[in-house]
Amino acid sequence: MKLDIVTPEGALFSGEIEAIVVPGVNGTFEMLNNHAPIVAILTEGNVRIKGQNLVVADEVANKFKYEQNEIILPIHSGTVEMKNNQVILLAE
Amino acid sequence: MANLKDIRTRIQSVGSTMQITNAMKMVSAAKLKKAQDAIEKMRPYAEKLTELLAGLSANLDKDLGGDYAAQREVKKVLLVPITSNRGLCGALNTNIIKLTSSLIENKYKDKDVELLTIGKKAYDQLSKKYKVVDNKSELFDDLTYENVAKIAQKIMNDFIDKKYDEVILIYNRFKNAATQIVITEQFLPIKTESDEISKVALDFIYEPSQAEIVLELIPKSLRTQFYKAIRDAWASEHGARMTSMHKATDNAKDMKDELTLQYNKARQAVITGEILEIVSGAEALKN
Repeated sequence: MKLDIVTPEGALFSGEIEAIVVPGVNGTFEMLNNHAPIVAILTEGNVRIKGQNLVVADEVANKFKYEQNEIILPIHSGTVEMKNNQVILLAE
Repeated sequence: MANLKDIRTRIQSVGSTMQITNAMKMVSAAKLKKAQDAIEKMRPYAEKLTELLAGLSANLDKDLGGDYAAQREVKKVLLVPITSNRGLCGALNTNIIKLTSSLIENKYKDKDVELLTIGKKAYDQLSKKYKVVDNKSELFDDLTYENVAKIAQKIMNDFIDKKYDEVILIYNRFKNAATQIVITEQFLPIKTESDEISKVALDFIYEPSQAEIVLELIPKSLRTQFYKAIRDAWASEHGARMTSMHKATDNAKDMKDELTLQYNKARQAVITGEILEIVSGAEALKN
């Protein structure tokens, strides 16, 4: 599935991923391929993006933390929308 | 006719002014590019947010907007004029200050008006005559979304606490480098637009409920709106400065050309005078 992370100051990430874990207001949850369409509000926490060969642009690289096959983005709040295997994360 | 040395000094001084204005023009052009890029960059976020909000409110029939849409009898008004910190940018700041004054004296004559100025120029001019509660000029030194959001949030809280019944932004909208449009924009209460949006066909899971999501999204979209206004003002400043510095450079060039012509004429006159003297001296010797 495809993920786009956008913030008011620009796009942070765009690419193919395998799964994403987001801090929903009612608890953390994970979305995999072919997840049902969803809109959710996120609270402060870490967004974990899982996949192979994840590429982050150099100028925003310091916003992420890196682990094996996983990149982590701390956010204050956000909104996530997923439909047709396209995830859009509005982060603040 | 002015003497040669005077003209030469003037040519030199006009020349160095020209260099300065030209350098300022270059600097503004570079900054303008950055400012425009920043506006471009926030567009996807703003558009997606609007799309989500529109989709959600279309699905919900009742009027939404929560506390931010509360229409109260307008008694206390907060005006937020946004200007630049520095001058030399043409009529940009004057327009904002003029409009703010005219709003206070005409439209909001009988209301209790307070000001929150952003930009030193607005503060310097308006604080003499009107009640300025706060000044956030230092914002332009570190223009990040986070800093802007803090100010926006404070204003929103004040509105919720009924400190103000209406909040108006006054700023220059960036059209292109030569044109900036002075805008008065109602920030709060939110104007709920009743245009028909087709209901979203997809069956979404909502977490939490739709109504709660909308309530969460509205402050976000307000903060984004505020950020956009500041970004627009920032780009306008550099656009206006670039244009006015370009004009100044052109004017200096005209002036320099004119002075050079004058200088050459004066020089010619001096030479003619000298030749005349020599010739008449030689003639006198002959006789």
